[in-house]
Amino acid sequence: MSVPTAPVATRAAEVRGLPSHLQQPGSKVVRWLLTAIAVLFLSAFIIWPVFQVFRGAFSKGVDAYVRTFYAPPLDPEVLEKMPRRERVVANNEVRQAPKTRDAIAMTATVALIVVPLNTVFGLAAAWAISKFRFRGKTFLISLIDLPFSVSPVVAGLIFVLLMGRVGIFGDWATHIQWPWPWSAYWRGFEGHWWPIGFSNWYEGVIFTPLATALASTFVTFPFVARALLPLMESQGTESEQAAITLGANGKQTFRRVTLPAIKWGLLYGIILCTARAIGEFGAVSVVSGSTDANDTMPLRIEKIWQSYNTQQAFAVASLLASVSIVTLLLKVVIDRKQSEQAVVKKPGAGH
Amino acid sequence: MSIEVKNITKTFGNFTALNDVSLRINQGELVALLGPSGSGKTTLLRIIAGLEVPDDGQGEISFHDENVVGQHVSQRKVGFVFQHYALFKNMTVFENVAFGLRVKPWRQRPARSAIRDRVEHLLKLVQLEGLAKRYPQQLSGGQRQRVALARALAVEPKVLLLDEPFGALDAKVRRELRRWLRHLHDDVGITSVFVTHDQEEALEVADRIAVLNKGKIEQVGTPENVYEHPANAFVLQFLGNVNLFHGRHAETAGSGAGGKTSYVRPHDVEIVAAGVDGAIAAEVEHVAFAGATVTVTLKRLDDGTIMEAELPRQQHLQLGLGRGQKVFVGVKEAHTFDTDYSI
Amino acid sequence: MPQLRRNVLPGFRLSLGYTLFYLSLIVLIPLAALAVKSATLSWNDFYSTVTDPFVVSAYKLSIGASLAAAAINGVFGLIVAWVLVRYPFPGRKIFDAIVDLPFALPTAVAGIAFASVFSSLPIVSDMDNPNRDWYAVTLMLVFVGLPFVIRTVQPVLQDWETETEQAAMSLGAGPVTIFRRVIFPVLFPAWISGVALAFARCVGEYGSVIFVSRNIPGVSQIVPQIIVEKLIEPTDANGVSGVSNATAVGLMLLLMSLSILLVLNFIDAMARRHER
Repeated sequence: MSVPTAPVATRAAEVRGLPSHLQQPGSKVVRWLLTAIAVLFLSAFIIWPVFQVFRGAFSKGVDAYVRTFYAPPLDPEVLEKMPRRERVVANNEVRQAPKTRDAIAMTATVALIVVPLNTVFGLAAAWAISKFRFRGKTFLISLIDLPFSVSPVVAGLIFVLLMGRVGIFGDWATHIQWPWPWSAYWRGFEGHWWPIGFSNWYEGVIFTPLATALASTFVTFPFVARALLPLMESQGTESEQAAITLGANGKQTFRRVTLPAIKWGLLYGIILCTARAIGEFGAVSVVSGSTDANDTMPLRIEKIWQSYNTQQAFAVASLLASVSIVTLLLKVVIDRKQSEQAVVKKPGAGH
Repeated sequence: MSIEVKNITKTFGNFTALNDVSLRINQGELVALLGPSGSGKTTLLRIIAGLEVPDDGQGEISFHDENVVGQHVSQRKVGFVFQHYALFKNMTVFENVAFGLRVKPWRQRPARSAIRDRVEHLLKLVQLEGLAKRYPQQLSGGQRQRVALARALAVEPKVLLLDEPFGALDAKVRRELRRWLRHLHDDVGITSVFVTHDQEEALEVADRIAVLNKGKIEQVGTPENVYEHPANAFVLQFLGNVNLFHGRHAETAGSGAGGKTSYVRPHDVEIVAAGVDGAIAAEVEHVAFAGATVTVTLKRLDDGTIMEAELPRQQHLQLGLGRGQKVFVGVKEAHTFDTDYSI
Repeated sequence: MPQLRRNVLPGFRLSLGYTLFYLSLIVLIPLAALAVKSATLSWNDFYSTVTDPFVVSAYKLSIGASLAAAAINGVFGLIVAWVLVRYPFPGRKIFDAIVDLPFALPTAVAGIAFASVFSSLPIVSDMDNPNRDWYAVTLMLVFVGLPFVIRTVQPVLQDWETETEQAAMSLGAGPVTIFRRVIFPVLFPAWISGVALAFARCVGEYGSVIFVSRNIPGVSQIVPQIIVEKLIEPTDANGVSGVSNATAVGLMLLLMSLSILLVLNFIDAMARRHER
């Protein structure tokens, strides 16, 4: 099984140069009708909802949009003069904005942990699978694909079963202590052999950011490997062998020959992995508990939505939607770069 | 440097690519490994290079009497030119050629200027000066081939190994490059081995040819030797077209006894006057012009078998052969082997 | 005697070793936890949990709506793929690019976006309609599974040689016959695996659906919603803990996904046999 995440190079109309009646079956009416159906279908299911996100985000104006993320306390005198309803809203904004900002920071932190881990794994897996022959390769690929077919909720559940209070490693996992990396401070060498201290420590795994990172890692596990595998398999091993015969060692071969040839595919995998890590909801919602401090952006959206702050929910959502639109744009660019490389790949004319 | 291959066997699963193969290549020689696809010629080349490891146990590969079986490719100092060149697409021609020098350990690495001089010298040698800044994809097939050669030569290998060096090129470029490779070899004088399935290429370029079939070496010899004195029917047939004369026809064709097959090359078939001893009556089926020679397809009148004769253009013009004409055919030279030999 | 190396390229042991280590750590051991925990449940508790009427109604909604969504995507996805490959029209590149949006857009964003779209759609804004949640969940899942059919069928259509069609045309076949007898049989393996992939994705979907369904037990809950709900519930009337109940339903959901995966592999194998 394969999930179609690899970029599909769109080939220009290959039917050109044929007399019109031979170009494709179906008359002009059929052609027009099918095109209309396709455009309407995509507009209704994709363009309209995305449009709604941005419309909702700016439904109360740019000022309200900004105050979703940044709302300094208002001057008490100004507050006094406000009508009661507006005052409640303004006070609420002041309370909510820092939490939203924290959620953005949390999302970035989680992505920063998850993406490098899965990138290193993806490179290792793709190298082992595409450059060597061994038994059980197909089975290994199916195992790597496995997280794609596990429901996000189940992905969260398994970590609860592993490290939750009644989990298999529960006794150990509920008592380990670990520091929050951003809370590091310099405490000096006096009385310590290690000069960096942490002001913020967590206990346990489930219902902490560590669980969020773990669940996100599971969910985004296959992306980089999946983007690299078909690419590296199609490239074969001749270039690497050539480098080795010329006296290059393993590191030089990888860095100077393999990496430049796969860089676009790698970037594509990293981008997809990042997009998914940022947007994961189901798995994260199961393991993060309902503490505000653990919220990532999608969880934050849910909380704001449940408290009927539609505009604010859409404002946070508009950030995520922008990220995914940028992802698509990058995909188009990378597709183009990759097909440029692919043209280069074939030596000489066809034979 | 001389290369000695002794008793090498290589299997891939159930498939035996090489079966107890031995071969000696002398210092400064240019040797062709010739054979059909699946004969094991590429495997042999890759084993010499160290890109493939022979089956465990006996077997020996020596470079200058030093056994290198256990050595990794990078230690063997071979230059290998891949069939599809395997140029680094992200590097310019210059960077491709310089690669082997630049990846040397810091202590052995030549100075920048030395690398530049060497690469420029090599590019001149392969007639690519001025293309140093191009990328492989901006070159023609023949140019890529020469970049691959220059890249392999840059590290001053003791042996040059080429896998189907002209396989991916069109006929005209191939013929030019062949001659060029021969000249280059004469200039550089490096011990070279190349793999090919094209007998014409092997005959034209190589000092000696090793003919491989089904993982065995059938014959080793100079081009003249293997062509004129093929060791068996396979070598004979692989090195050019032949007409077959089975069993009793073999006798009528001149030499040979029952249970044997005679093989006659088309250029050893001649059109003779009636009444010449042993002449065979035949009818002209088709006449095909191929430049300097003319191939005449003949049908024997006694049993209807088809054979081909290759005549010089002049002779054809004198005879004025045409379809349906009755002629007599003689055999200048025939090779006879046991009939049960299968190809 | 120096050591013989099996392959000239370095790093096999290191890369495969790390792959297996990391795979076990992140995927295999956690998934094994589900199996181990399920094994501790008594059969009766397990059976009563997974056949609870509310849970059964969730299976019906999850599977039914996913099937409906996969079917809708099967039809429209085929049309979209066909149009994108065959009929150049202004803006085609943009439409081609946005097909992937459901892969990239976070589910929660899609959820609130559709919730807002639905508020102005008569068929799903009528809260008194008993089937309202079915419609809403189905439409949501159409979005979730949208790229699969298109992205599996598209490459096959692109590699398709139009000469085959022209040959059929020259033999006197009409457009409908050509599609039915010549094109669709070639597309079928890709198409059906696209439909199955969409279905598999939809069955497990959670993030977007919770924003458009009203989460009424026995009416509009999907299986993942049940799992989340059970997980935070205290011990039930039979003395079975919430986590155990969630584990039981989670196992059912995982088995569902895995059986779809098996079917997909089977389709793949059949398609490959066809190629030979």
